[in-house]
Amino acid sequence: MKEIIINNLSYKYSLAENKALNNISLEIEKGDFIGVIGPNKAGKSTFCKSLVGLIPHFYKGEFEGEILIDDLNTLNSSIAEISLKVGLVFQDPFNQISGAKLSVYDELAFGLENNGVEREEMITRIDKYLDLMDLNEVKDNNPFELSGGQMQRLAIASIMALKPDVFVLDEPTSQLDPQGTEEVFKAVSRLREENLTVILVSQKLNKLADYANKILFLNQGGIVAYDDTAAVFSRNDLEQMGMGVPIYTEIARELELKNEKDQYPIRNSELKEMLVAKYGKNIGK
Amino acid sequence: MRSLSLYVKRNSLIHKIDPFTKIIYVFVSVISPFIMPTLIFSASLTLINLMLLLLAKVVKRVIPIISFVFIIILTIFVIQGMFYGANQTKLFTIFNLSFYVEGILYAAKISIRAINVLLAFSLLILTTPPAEMIESLVRRGMPAKLGYIMHSVLQIIPMMSSNASIIMDAQRARGMETEGSLWVRIKAFIPLIGPLVMSSLVNTHERSIALEVRGFSAATKKTFLHQEEVPGGMKQLRIFLLLFLAAVLVWRLTL
Repeated sequence: MKEIIINNLSYKYSLAENKALNNISLEIEKGDFIGVIGPNKAGKSTFCKSLVGLIPHFYKGEFEGEILIDDLNTLNSSIAEISLKVGLVFQDPFNQISGAKLSVYDELAFGLENNGVEREEMITRIDKYLDLMDLNEVKDNNPFELSGGQMQRLAIASIMALKPDVFVLDEPTSQLDPQGTEEVFKAVSRLREENLTVILVSQKLNKLADYANKILFLNQGGIVAYDDTAAVFSRNDLEQMGMGVPIYTEIARELELKNEKDQYPIRNSELKEMLVAKYGKNIGK
Repeated sequence: MRSLSLYVKRNSLIHKIDPFTKIIYVFVSVISPFIMPTLIFSASLTLINLMLLLLAKVVKRVIPIISFVFIIILTIFVIQGMFYGANQTKLFTIFNLSFYVEGILYAAKISIRAINVLLAFSLLILTTPPAEMIESLVRRGMPAKLGYIMHSVLQIIPMMSSNASIIMDAQRARGMETEGSLWVRIKAFIPLIGPLVMSSLVNTHERSIALEVRGFSAATKKTFLHQEEVPGGMKQLRIFLLLFLAAVLVWRLTL
């Protein structure tokens, strides 16, 4: 089933010279985990902002085309309406704290209060997502006193509590240390278990290879590739466009190890299997 | 990071009263001395406030506030004592400066009222957590956006001041003098403003996005996580307070 349909989406920020997104058309299936990659200025963040309706409702500029989420056209719906279908988490964990609540527990309630969720339901959801995001220990702390990883998990939990169908994460780990990054990716893996459609922008290609079933490669506002993860990472022209490949793919490429589909392995386990198949079990001993 | 708040946690009867009743009390207590401008009336309300502060076990916290306005009150006494329009009866003279009974009485009236306002607001602010007070107003129809502004100021000002010290450290690390005479400090302050204001603007912009995607502008009626705890008898107390205000008004109009 199609969850998101994008037709000829173009967008130019006011005062900008070039279009940030240029004629993008694609479809996203329900339950897909899409990894979005691309160099700087590729339009990744603009793409995310369009999905939640911040473009064109919050950022004014030249908007063309349409985004349909189920039956909801983002152009004709308010951000508040869209936010119940599509959740957004972005880079800076600090700025995603509302600043109006004194405890983690209350912070989780912020979005629910705004959307008029009944109190009993609110408590059920808060307890659930506190658990799911491992925030029970800090639930009475001031949100501003959390570590980066905890703050980002709080941001994810606050959005999860709104029960969106689609979850957009715009480089959620770019400002975190390795430990915080690990925490957030663990949290992201739980999103998959909740059967959400996830769109994750990240430069952590190894992680994307583990989680995403499809990769959307953007460059200069256009789509370079939108295909299965292994197919995209097997392309030979990624480096030319300023992108790397997952470390396992790079090793496989050096060793010219391809599978039956003529693709390089992208995950640790796949590479190991192929190495064993080629060099025998005692490899490295 | 601490939220800005003067709230003092104590176990007292006053602390248990719900914010809205306290707000009504403050309103009545502040307004009525202006309707009924007699010295005895103002003084008795002030005395009541003082007793309530004692009951709330927060009197100690009021002293610095009172001492701060003491200078202003002193000025009122000096100026009115000497120059009040209706001055007739000389009370005493120092260095050829004469003080009059009428002026001193008038000054007392103003000062008592000012102290009364101060005590009444202290009673509210020292015994009510700001978050509860704001929420209680939002429940009764104050726009949620205004409530948010009030909330966030309390949290974001401490945040800005910690940002400011980070920026100052960075500038100090590059050899800028930030300590020393007043002039040096003023000079150090100017380059601080730019980065501080800019970073605050950027943060505010990002935060507003985060708020939007959490339904900040949703048209639906807001609900609340916390239930309002109103002790028994508060309704009657609120009605009594408003009746009292009405009585003062009637008394004044018929007098």
